[in-house]
Amino acid sequence: MYNSYLNLFGVTQEDLKKLIDIALEEGGDYADLYFEHSIANELALRDKQVNAVGSHIDYGVGIRVISGDQTGYAYSEITTMSKMVEAARTAAKIATGSKSRYTAPENVTLLGGNNFYPIAKGWDETFVTDKIPYLYKLNDIAFGLDSRVVKVSARISDSLTKILFFNSLGETFADMRPMVSIICSCVMEENGKLENGSASRSFRMGFELLNDTIVEEVAKEAIAKTSFLFGAKQPKGGVMPVVMGSGSSGILLHEAVGHAFEADFNRKQTSIFCDKMGKQVCDKSINIIDDGTITANRGSVNYDDEGVPGQKTYLVKDGVLNSYLHDRISAKYYNTAPTGNGRRESFRYIPIPRMRATYMDSGTASEEDIIASVKYGIYADNFTNGQVQIGAGDFTFFVKSGYLIENGKFTQPIKDINIIGNGPEALREITAVANNNIIDNGTWTCGKEQYCAVSCGMPSVLVNKLTVGGCTNE
Amino acid sequence: MEDAQMNRYIENREEIETARHALKTALANGAGAARISLNMGIQNAFAVLDGKLDKLHMANDRSLYIQLYAKGRYGAFSTNRIEKGELEHFIKEAIAATTLLAEDKCRTLPDSSLYYKGAGKDLGQFDPTFLELDSKKKKEIAFSVYEETEGKSKKLISANSEYGDYLDYQYMIDSQGFEGESILSGFTVSAECSVKGRGDARPDGWWYENSLEFKRLEIGGCGNKALDRALAKLNPKKMKSGKYRMIVENICSSRVVSPIITALGGENIQQKNSFLLDKLGERVFSEKMNLIDTPHEYGMSGSRYFDGEGIATKNMSVIENGKINTYFINSYYANKMGVAATIEGPSVPKFSAAAYKDEYKNLSLNEMIRIIDTGILVTGFNGGNCNTTTGDFSYGVEGFFIKDGVILHPIREMNITGNIIQLWNNLIFTGNDARSATRWQIPSLAFEDVDFTGL
Repeated sequence: MYNSYLNLFGVTQEDLKKLIDIALEEGGDYADLYFEHSIANELALRDKQVNAVGSHIDYGVGIRVISGDQTGYAYSEITTMSKMVEAARTAAKIATGSKSRYTAPENVTLLGGNNFYPIAKGWDETFVTDKIPYLYKLNDIAFGLDSRVVKVSARISDSLTKILFFNSLGETFADMRPMVSIICSCVMEENGKLENGSASRSFRMGFELLNDTIVEEVAKEAIAKTSFLFGAKQPKGGVMPVVMGSGSSGILLHEAVGHAFEADFNRKQTSIFCDKMGKQVCDKSINIIDDGTITANRGSVNYDDEGVPGQKTYLVKDGVLNSYLHDRISAKYYNTAPTGNGRRESFRYIPIPRMRATYMDSGTASEEDIIASVKYGIYADNFTNGQVQIGAGDFTFFVKSGYLIENGKFTQPIKDINIIGNGPEALREITAVANNNIIDNGTWTCGKEQYCAVSCGMPSVLVNKLTVGGCTNE
Repeated sequence: MEDAQMNRYIENREEIETARHALKTALANGAGAARISLNMGIQNAFAVLDGKLDKLHMANDRSLYIQLYAKGRYGAFSTNRIEKGELEHFIKEAIAATTLLAEDKCRTLPDSSLYYKGAGKDLGQFDPTFLELDSKKKKEIAFSVYEETEGKSKKLISANSEYGDYLDYQYMIDSQGFEGESILSGFTVSAECSVKGRGDARPDGWWYENSLEFKRLEIGGCGNKALDRALAKLNPKKMKSGKYRMIVENICSSRVVSPIITALGGENIQQKNSFLLDKLGERVFSEKMNLIDTPHEYGMSGSRYFDGEGIATKNMSVIENGKINTYFINSYYANKMGVAATIEGPSVPKFSAAAYKDEYKNLSLNEMIRIIDTGILVTGFNGGNCNTTTGDFSYGVEGFFIKDGVILHPIREMNITGNIIQLWNNLIFTGNDARSATRWQIPSLAFEDVDFTGL
């Protein structure tokens, strides 16, 4: 694969070495080249017809120079030597005046071995006609499930990204990254009232993902989620216990602590966790992991976007803050090894610390017992989006649906409320962890400065106190 | 735009010929109609972190967006690989894929009588200074913004600043004879400060300024504002849950307008996914609410003569005394619904204070705070969402408690919850302070009886 990628981008290893030499001719500590060729396709169903198709090619090379913790970056959409030399010289300006001088390593090391997203049938071997039947099937299942369905829209998005990487350490690799998402949204009408809901699945897989089972699963989930909303309402708000259901509740980890553990914020001393390394941050039964090695997971990386192997990183081990999420710059600052979290949206962006699949290990409690322990609170298991203020630590996530819990039992279905809390406090307030961790395979995308595919997971947990949005008088 | 200005950037650009060639290729290979958009851009950024140059970033982009109408079918494609041979192959493959779809007769180019016909005056969207500023000057600006924060407070932990500029050029051509182009430049400065708060908290504050014209960019004061906003957040208190009057500051007020704009969109209307479905011509919001679109204002970000389909923009009343006057409907959804196309979306939406009593017609934020007397000033949103189908919303907020007409203290960990229609029926008044930096001209807004949850 490696040699074919050299051909794809029209370069030789000698060209790559020369570009690194130019990138570091003003000085600097490190440089890398990130070539990318991506083809993204989408196929859409609307009003019972598969009637829109798209295909998008993006191609180019990003050239980065690091001098201390400063970064120079430029990219070119044209990979002729003259254009790449121009970009390399632009990036090199960051190191103007630097005393360090670069000596190229004698040997080039071809990185390889990781294969976290094997493909049976690639998207470049797949035609529109292969995909169309699955959208019609999804549409038919959705309409057939409930007579209240008035609109169904569905989409299959797939992409294949080819990466060629080379750095000043003499490390190089080629990687082929697939991604596929299947998404169904529906609108249902009951007595003149409309509600909408959606469901999705996303994996680093090839065409083999598409089968009748997954289509049925997504259609059923979209209908069930939408149907649920007719009986739901915004609850009375306030501070109360929140039981986070397993799976997509991993958004709590992503927003409440995951971003605050990203080392760029800690290096700049702007994270609320920047003085907490090695300290107890939650109950000792809790382990929080960020993992780039789960087979076919949306957040997995064979190598990250700066040539560091994908790996499993314990952020919190036995309740103690164990590691930040590092890119090369922060790892050097903290004198530790990078953790494979240097990721970027595309060659147009500088890699920065990003999450991969962030989840909590299972505990020992049962979800039933946790719910039964709550006198008055809510249960949440369906979310749309979240956000965090890194320095203040206040995070939020939006609950699309859930239940009110009264005297240990589900009572009123609830919907459309925001929950807000403080990261360190919420972590300390997790007092029960169930034995049912699962990874949620929805289309999670993180928007920190640039978009990045991630995923999350969680066992059911009890957070003793969070502020639940809602009306203030019923 | 003055032709001479645009010519300095696009003179002899072979990409424009490539776009024309793409159209010919599409039509010669089975597309009955097509639209090609060429997008080119330049971006530069210089960032300073704690007194050191942190990042420099320079980029040039160009890509083609290709919309194909073949045998009553539709596909949308894009590529930045625009060498002739590769592009021709891409277009042929795209047409082949498009013809495999179901027929959709609603997919057509617009009624050509709606096209922009040219001859509009310069809208002040491009400043040739963009082509003259050197890197040294840009770096100096980034440092000058940072320096406003340096040594100003013992509580300051970290400060960063950035200068950025960009140029966007678009050329659009279609098979019905539409041909149009636009060029836009922009200049920005921003700053962000983190300060030491109580316990482990490190609240931050940010500010930015943006201008289409370099000489109008307000560089001075940006760093100070970021630091002041961070320091103002120290020692926040969580308030008791309850109904409060709310002012939403101009820096974030578009957040409570965007659900309305989304709900007015043709796609959401046709897909029955809008809380404003079947409301055209009805009074839905407070009679004090007047929203207009003014796409031809000189020097305003967002001003334009045509939309993404080439349809001519015009001044329009969107909401008049609370009544819905228009949906934003492009050709496709117009055909689907059997109505006339309007425009794909607003260009420069703004509020009119026409319906207020005289003493409320020209209020600054401070005057709004004084009149509100007791309530909460929202200066930022933290997550949350609005259900497009029902209008139910719930957002995390940050801001300040107002008592006796003055700001008392910052608040923390609070949500607002309700329904957008109800919220806008509780509109008290709007301010006179829409930021010139933004495309949506949304001033500070004041509402009655908003549900805040806290303690």
